Amino acid sequence: MTESILNRVIATRPAHDGALTVTGLGHRTTLPLAEFHDRARAVAEALRRRGVGAGDRIGILSANRLEWVLLDVAALMLKAQTAGFEPGKFRPDTELIERYGLDLLFTDAPLTDDAPSRAVPISAVAGYAEEEATEAFEPAEWGAKECTTVKFTSGSTGAPKGLEATAGSIDSSLRAVQSLFDHRPGDDILTFLPLSLLQQRYWLYSALYWGHDLTITTYQSVFAVMSTVRPTVVMGVPAFFDSAKRHLEAGLAAGAEPAAAAAELFGDRIRYLWTGSAPADATTLKFFGEIGLPLFEGYGLNETCIATKNHPGAHREGSVGRALDGKEILIDEEGVVCVRSDHPVNTAYTYAAPGDSEKMFKAGGIVRTGDLGRLDEDGFLYILGRSDDVIVLDNGKKIIVRPVETRFRDTGTVAECVLYCPSQAGLVAVVSPHPGPVDTDAITEALASVNAASEADERITRVIVADEPFSVDNGLLTSQFKPIRKRIADRYRDDIDNPKAGINAH
Amino acid sequence: MPTDLDTLAREKLSQVLRDHPEPASLDRDEDLVQTYGLTSLNKVLFLTSLCKAAEVGLDNFTEDDLSRMRTLGDVVDALRPHAPQPTAQKG
Repeated sequence: MTESILNRVIATRPAHDGALTVTGLGHRTTLPLAEFHDRARAVAEALRRRGVGAGDRIGILSANRLEWVLLDVAALMLKAQTAGFEPGKFRPDTELIERYGLDLLFTDAPLTDDAPSRAVPISAVAGYAEEEATEAFEPAEWGAKECTTVKFTSGSTGAPKGLEATAGSIDSSLRAVQSLFDHRPGDDILTFLPLSLLQQRYWLYSALYWGHDLTITTYQSVFAVMSTVRPTVVMGVPAFFDSAKRHLEAGLAAGAEPAAAAAELFGDRIRYLWTGSAPADATTLKFFGEIGLPLFEGYGLNETCIATKNHPGAHREGSVGRALDGKEILIDEEGVVCVRSDHPVNTAYTYAAPGDSEKMFKAGGIVRTGDLGRLDEDGFLYILGRSDDVIVLDNGKKIIVRPVETRFRDTGTVAECVLYCPSQAGLVAVVSPHPGPVDTDAITEALASVNAASEADERITRVIVADEPFSVDNGLLTSQFKPIRKRIADRYRDDIDNPKAGINAH
Repeated sequence: MPTDLDTLAREKLSQVLRDHPEPASLDRDEDLVQTYGLTSLNKVLFLTSLCKAAEVGLDNFTEDDLSRMRTLGDVVDALRPHAPQPTAQKG
C-alpha cells in the first residue's frame, strides 16, 4: 500500500535540511523544517490542553504568517479540521463561528471587547509553540476519505461554497505533482497567495516530505522580496506574471539585458514558474519562455484540485497540459470538461445552495467543470471557454466569449475584457483599463482590430471602459484574479444597457 | 549620489504607468490607485525600483507603511528620512 504523505509529514520529524522562510516587507524569519515540526507539535499539544481534539474545527482568518502554517500542521496532528478564510472576505464574528461550526477561530483581525469568546488572536500561537509539553502526545492518522480541511470557492456569485477536502486527494495531488517537477533539496518554492487556498499549503507538505525549502510571503510583498529570496520556483496566478512581464518589458525597452533583468526581479536561481487558476495569456507564456524562465500552465478547480499540467517533460503551447496521475479528463457530449479522480476531493459541497452539489459532482468521482474544452490526440487539454459564458444569439448561434475577450486583451490596450449581450443588437464589452490615463483612441483602434479578426456574430458593438481597473480590492476580481462577471455586470449595468454609452464600433 | 528624491520618484512612477506620462506632470497629492490606477503589485514594483535608485533599503518599510503610502508625496516623505544625505544643497 502506498504511504500517506500527509500522515508521514505529521508523524515524522524531518531528517533533512529543508527550511521554511516567512518574509515580507521589513521582516524575515527562517527556521529549519525540523524545528518547524517541533513547534507545530508544541502548538498541537497546547491546543489539546485547551480542549481541541479529533473532530473539532479550527477556523483561521489571517494574512499569511508563520502562525498560520503552525496551526495548520498542529490541527493535522490532532486530527482537527481547519477552515481557512480569506482575509477581507470574512469577519471574525459570531455569525462566522456559528455558521461554520468553529470550535476556535484564530485571526489577525482586531478583536473588540464584545468579540466572541471562541475568537483568539492568531499571535497567541507563537506562545503556544513555546509551552512545555506536559504529557506524551502521538500525532493522529488520517484515513484517505477523511477530510482535513474546508476550503471555500471564490465563486462568481453569492456566498462562497464550502468544500471539505479528503486526505487521499491531497496525497494524490502531492505525489502526482512531484512526479512531474521533482522538487528536491536545493529548491526553494516561493508562494504568496493566501494560505486559505489549500493548494498553497501543499508546498509546505511537499517541503516537509521531500526536503526542499519553502518561502511564504504575501501578495503585497512578493515583488519586493523575490530577488533576495532567490527562489527556484514561483507559484503565481496569470495576473502576477502579466505585471512582471510589463515591468520586465519596460526594462528591456530601456536597454537591459534579458537575463539580468529577469534575475533582478526573480532572483538568479529560477528553475521554472508555475501558473494556473485562470487562463494565462499566450504572449505572457511565450515571453517568459524567451527570457529563460519557463512558465507552465495547468488546469484545475477547487472541486478537482490540479487536474492537468504542462511541465518540462510534456508541454504543448496553447494547452493546459495532460492529466496528472490519478486524474482522467473526459469531454462530455456538450463539450464540457469533466474530471474523474481516483481520489476525489469530495463528492458534494458541505456548504452550498440546494442543487449546487448535484450540478458539479457526478457519480464515479467525476466533476463536471462547466468549462468547454477539447483533447488532442496526445491527451493535451485545451480550454475553449466556460459553458456558462456562452451567449446564445437569436439566430441560434452560440458564442464562446472567452476567445473574443482574450483577443481584446491581447491587443495590449486593456487589462481585462468581459463580454455581455444586453440585446440582440450585439455584444458589449466592459474593459478594465491598465493603470494610468485611459487611451480612448488606442482602445477604439483595438476594438476595430478585434472586430476585424472576429466572425460577424462575434462583433463587439460598444466598449465600456471601467472607471477603475478591476481588482480584488474593488470586488471585481476573485482572489485568483479572475473577473467576476456578474459583479462587473451589476456595477456597469446602466452603461451596458444604454446604447449611447461607451465607445462605439465604426 | 541619487538625483533629487522627488524627481526620482516621478520618473519611477512614470515608468510603471502604462503610458509613461511626463514625470513633471504627475501630481504628488493625487491618489496612486484612484487617479493613476496603480495596482497593489505595481505599487510595490514602483517602491522597489525607487528604493533601489534612491539607495534606500526596502527593509525600512512594512506592508502597513506601504498601505499608508497613498500619494506620490506620501512615498517621497516616507523615503526621505532614509535617503542618503545630499552632499550639497541647491542654492
